[in-house]
Amino acid sequence: MIPFGIVATLSLLYFGMLFAVAYYADQRSQLGRSLIDNPNVYSFSLAVYCTSWTFYGSVGRAATSGIDFIAIYLGPTLMAFTWWFLLRRMVRVSKEQNIASIADLISSRYGKSAVLGAIVTLFAVLGILPYIALQLKAVSHTFNLLTIPPTELAHGARHHIPALPLTVDTALIVALLLGLFGVLFGARHLDATERHEGLVAAVALESLLKVVAFLMVGIFITYGLFDGFTDICNQFLARFPERRHLLRLDTEHIPYPEWFSLTFMAMMAVMFLPRQFHIMVVENCREEHIHKAMWRFPAYLFLINLFVIPIALGGILLNNGDTSGADFFVLQVPLDTGHPWLALVVFIGGFSASAGMVMVESVALSTMILNHLLMPIILKVYSGAGNLSGLLINLKRISIFAVILLGYLYYRLLGESAALVNIGLISFLAATQFAPAIIGGLYWRRATRRGATVGLTLGFMVWFYTLLIPAFVDSGWLSRTILDDGLFGLAILRPTALLGLVDFGLWSHALFWTLFVNVGSFLAISLLTTPVPAEEEQIEKFVDVFKDRMAAPQLRRISKAPTIIEFVELMAKFIGEKRAHLAISEYLGNREIDAKGSLSEQELPQLKRFTELTLAGSVGTAPARIILENYLAARGSHMEDVFDVLGSVNISRTASREQLSVLYEAARAASSGASLQTVLDEILKIFTDQFRFDLCVIRILDHERQALTVRSQRGISLSPAFGADRELTMDTFIGEAFLTNHMIVVNDSDTISKQKTSEITRLEGIVSFAHAPITVEGQPIGVISASSRTAKGVFTDEFVELFGSLAGQVGVAWRNAQQTERLIVAREQQRELEIAKTIQLGLLPLTVPDIPGIQLGGICVPAKDVGGDYYDFLLQSDGGLGLVIADVSGHNVGAALLMAETRTLIRARYGQLGTPRDTLAELNRFFYEDLSRAELFVTMFLLEFHPESGRAFYASAGHSPALLWSKSVGECLRLDAEGLILGVRREFPYEQESVDLGPGDVLLLYTDGVIEAANSASELFGEERLADLLKDSHQLAPRELIDRILQQVRLFSGSHSFNDDISLVVMMVDETKKSP
Amino acid sequence: MNMPAKNPLHLREAWVIFFVLGLVMLNFPFLHIFNKDVQVFGTPLIILYLMVGWPVSILVVYLFSRLLANASPEADDDNSPPPPQDQP
Repeated sequence: MIPFGIVATLSLLYFGMLFAVAYYADQRSQLGRSLIDNPNVYSFSLAVYCTSWTFYGSVGRAATSGIDFIAIYLGPTLMAFTWWFLLRRMVRVSKEQNIASIADLISSRYGKSAVLGAIVTLFAVLGILPYIALQLKAVSHTFNLLTIPPTELAHGARHHIPALPLTVDTALIVALLLGLFGVLFGARHLDATERHEGLVAAVALESLLKVVAFLMVGIFITYGLFDGFTDICNQFLARFPERRHLLRLDTEHIPYPEWFSLTFMAMMAVMFLPRQFHIMVVENCREEHIHKAMWRFPAYLFLINLFVIPIALGGILLNNGDTSGADFFVLQVPLDTGHPWLALVVFIGGFSASAGMVMVESVALSTMILNHLLMPIILKVYSGAGNLSGLLINLKRISIFAVILLGYLYYRLLGESAALVNIGLISFLAATQFAPAIIGGLYWRRATRRGATVGLTLGFMVWFYTLLIPAFVDSGWLSRTILDDGLFGLAILRPTALLGLVDFGLWSHALFWTLFVNVGSFLAISLLTTPVPAEEEQIEKFVDVFKDRMAAPQLRRISKAPTIIEFVELMAKFIGEKRAHLAISEYLGNREIDAKGSLSEQELPQLKRFTELTLAGSVGTAPARIILENYLAARGSHMEDVFDVLGSVNISRTASREQLSVLYEAARAASSGASLQTVLDEILKIFTDQFRFDLCVIRILDHERQALTVRSQRGISLSPAFGADRELTMDTFIGEAFLTNHMIVVNDSDTISKQKTSEITRLEGIVSFAHAPITVEGQPIGVISASSRTAKGVFTDEFVELFGSLAGQVGVAWRNAQQTERLIVAREQQRELEIAKTIQLGLLPLTVPDIPGIQLGGICVPAKDVGGDYYDFLLQSDGGLGLVIADVSGHNVGAALLMAETRTLIRARYGQLGTPRDTLAELNRFFYEDLSRAELFVTMFLLEFHPESGRAFYASAGHSPALLWSKSVGECLRLDAEGLILGVRREFPYEQESVDLGPGDVLLLYTDGVIEAANSASELFGEERLADLLKDSHQLAPRELIDRILQQVRLFSGSHSFNDDISLVVMMVDETKKSP
Repeated sequence: MNMPAKNPLHLREAWVIFFVLGLVMLNFPFLHIFNKDVQVFGTPLIILYLMVGWPVSILVVYLFSRLLANASPEADDDNSPPPPQDQP
C-alpha cells in the first residue's frame, strides 16, 4: 500500500518528463538535428512490442500454463533474420510512396484502392481493441493494487474519490489520460510526412525504463528473496511436484502445435501489428538502422524475459501455490515483501509499457481511421471550398480518443474475464491476417486487389468466428450453445472445432483456419483475376523496389492544367498553409521555372504527382489520389495521354528501353563502316521506324556553297521548299540551330515567328518540329530535323534528350566517314612508299666488289621507309673503279624511279662516257627534261680510281665534297669540284679534279644526311666533326669505320633514327700496296 | 563459429539457411529431444536449452549484421543504395 497521492504525483511527474523528452525531440527535429536518427533509439522504440502483457502477463502465463510465453518472443527473434529482406523492402517502398500506415501500404500496393484501405482499417481497429483493453486493464489493476487495501479493491477509484459515479472506474480515467497523451504526442499538428519524432523518443525512453524496472524486480526476487534460479527451481519442484508441467513442453496446455502457432503468430505480429508497422516503417529514419536493430531488438526481448520464470515460480512459492493473482506477481511480490518503492518502480515500468503501446497504437489507428474511413466520406461531401486542415487534425484527435474508448468498452464488456495473454493473442492473430496481402504484394507480381480483398475479408471473418465468438461466450455475452452445438446447431460449424477439427488447441485451430481461407482465396482469386491498370504501376514500385528503375518518361499531360499556386492552395486545404508553402518551395527549389513563372508542360504532371505524394503523407495514398482526381475533374482538366511518340502500347514502362535501343542501333550503324550516305539513311530509318514522325531530314554543311544541303530524308515532303538548301542565316530555325549550336524545339508551330519557317510548316502541314545541330568535337557540321504533322507537344524533355543523342550519333558517323577517307589516302601513300623502298633497295649494290689492293665499304640508312640516296661501285674493263654517290630530293616513288633511271644510265654507259666530268655532263643533259618536269633534282659525286696508277679523277654535281685521309700528309683533305646539281641547266661544264692516293689513304664519300644530322640544340654534326672522326679512325676497316661514323652520328643527334637518309662509301688503299 | 563465405551471394543464402535452421531448432521435434524431466545445473533441461539457444540465435544475427555492414553495398541483388532520405 502506497499513498494514492504519491503514486498519482509520481505518475504525472513521470509523464511530464516523457513529454519534455518528446518536446525536446520535436524541437531538435525542427532544427534538423534529429534525436531519433540513431540505431539505439530505433531499437528501443521497436520494443513497444513489449506491452503490459509482457511486463505482467508473461509471468501470469508462466505461473499458470507454462513456458509457452517464450514463443511470443522467440518468434520476433527468428523474424529478425528476415528483416534484411522483408523489413528493408517495406521501409524502402513506404518511403518512396510516402506511406503512413499499414492500411496505406496494402491499399497503395493494390492500386491505391480506397475500399481495401477501409477494410484493412476496420479489421485493424477491431483486431487491436482487445489489445488496448488489455493495457487499460493492466494499468488500472496495478494502480488499484498499489493504492487500495486488498479489502477495498472492489470499490476501485471510488475508494479515493467516493463522489465518483458508479460507471467511472480507474480504467476509464486511465483511458482518458492515455488518450490525452496520444493527442499530445501524436496529433498536435497534421504532419506532411506523418513522422512523430517526439512520440518515438518518448517510446524509446519508456522501453528503457520498463526493461530496467523488470530486471530490478527480477534480480530482487531471484537473488534477494531466493538464492538464485536453481534455488527457486528446486524449492518449487520440492513443494509443488504436481506442477512440474509448468517447466515442460508438450503438456496439456502447451502441445507442440500450440508452440508452433504462438511462434508463428508472434513472427507475424511483430511485423504487421499497426503499432509495430508504425514504429518500424513509418518512423524509420534510415534503412541502416535496421542492421543494428536486427540483433538489438531480439537481445532486448531476451533480457526482459530472463527473469520471467524465476518471478513466476517465486510468486507461486510466496503465495503458497495460489495463482489467481499471477498476472500481477511482478508488482505483488515486492509489495507483499515490504518493498513499496520497488513496487512503485515496477508500476512505472508497467505504466510505461502500457502507455507506450496505447499511444503508438492509437496514433497509428487514428491515422488509418482518418485516412481510410473518414476521408472518403469527407471527400464525398466536400464542396472544394474551405480549409480542411483544421477539421482533419481535430478528427484525428477524436479518433485517438475513440480508439482508446472503444478499447475501454471492450475491457468493460469482455476483458475482465480473460487473462492478459489470451486477450493479446487475439490481436496477434488479427495482425497475422495482413501478412498474405503484404508479403504477397511485396514479392508476387500476380497478387491482385480482388485476391487481397477477398483473402483479408474471409480471414477476418474466420478470425471473428473462431476467436471472438468464444471470447464472447467466456464473458457470458453469448450462450454456450454456439460453442457446443455450432452455428444454426450445425456441429461442423462449432467455432473451436470448425469442420470437425477437434482437439487442436484454440490458437492452432484459429491460426490454421484463418490462414487457410485467407491465403487460399488470396492465391486463387489473384490467379483468376488480372490487375487493373492502376495496380500495374504500383506492382512495379513494390515488387521491383530494389531494381534500378529508369525514370519513366512522363507521357501524360494535364489539359487546362492548374498553376503552381493552385496546387499549393489545394495542399493548404488539407495540410495547412505553412506546410504547403514549405513543401512547394522544397519541390521548386531545384527546378527551372520559365519566364511566365510556371513549370513546363512536362513538369506539371510531376507537380501533380508531388502534390499527391505530399497529401498522401497526411491523408493516405488512396484519399490523396481521390482528392487530386476530384480537383482536376472539378476544373474540367484531366490527364490525357500525350501523343504516343515512343511507339508501343505500354509506354511508361518500356520507353527507356526503346530509347536505348534506338541509340544503340544508331551507334551500330554509325560504326558499321558503310558509306556515309548509307549510314545517314540507316540512322534516319531507325529513327523514323521507332518514332512516328512524318518528315525527318539530315542536312550537312556544304562548304563551297556555304549552305546546309539535304543529305538524307525520310517521309514525303509536299513542297519543294522543304527539301531546299538552307542558308546559314538566322532566318530559319535550321540556320539558327546550326549557327547557335543549340537544339531548337517547337511544340506548336502556330506560335512561331519566323516567316520563312511558318510558310513551310503551313505548306507541309507540320505542327511541331525540332532541329538538333550535328556536331563533331563541338563544332556544328549539319542539322537533323524531325517534324510531325499530327501532334503538338511531341517533344518532351526525355525525347529532346534522345534526339540530341541521336544528332551526336550522326556526328560520329560523319566523323568516321571522314576518317575513313583520310585513312584510304594514307594507305595509298603507304603502298607507294613500299614500292619505292623495294625499288631503292634493289638499286644498291648487294656486295662489295673484291679488288686487290683496296678495301671498300658502303651503306645507305634510309630516314623513313624509303630513301633518296644511291651509291654504287662500277668496275671498268681497264681495271678502273668508279665510285658513285648521289642524293635525289624527295622520298617517293618518283624519286626512286629517277634513281633507277640514273643507275641504269650509269651502269649501261659508264665505260663509254669517258671521264667523270663527261659522264656528269651527259647525265645532266639527259636528266634536264625529266627532272625539271618532275620538280626533282639530283646531286652526285663521281670518282674514278685507277689502282695501278693510284690516281683518282673526280667530279661533283652539287654534292657534298668527299673526304680523304692522306697518310702522307696526316690530315684530312676535302675533295671538291665545281659543278651544278643535275637537271638545272641543259648545258653545264663540270669541273674535274684529280688526286693521288697512297697506301693507307682512306676516301670517304657521304651524303648530306651525315653532316646535317642535328642534336637537340639544333647544332649540326658538320663536316669538321666528320673529318676529325675520319682522322681518328682511319685505321679501322671500311665496315668498322662506317659503323663508327653511324654510331657517332646517332650519339650526337641523340636518336636512333635519322631525319634524312645517310649514305657512306669508304675506300681504303691497302698499306701493302706499293706506290708506283 | 564458422563464418559463411565472404561472397555476398553466399551471405544471402546462408542467411536464409540460418533462418530455416532457427525455425527447425526451436520447434517440434527438436524441442522434444530436450523436453525431458531432468535438470542440468539445477535447471530443467528444456528451459536451459531455450535460454541458451535463444542468445545463440541472437549472436548469429549479430554476426550476420556485422558481415552485412562490412559487405559491399551490392551484398545481394535487391540491394541498391537507399534513396536520399527526407529529413524533416
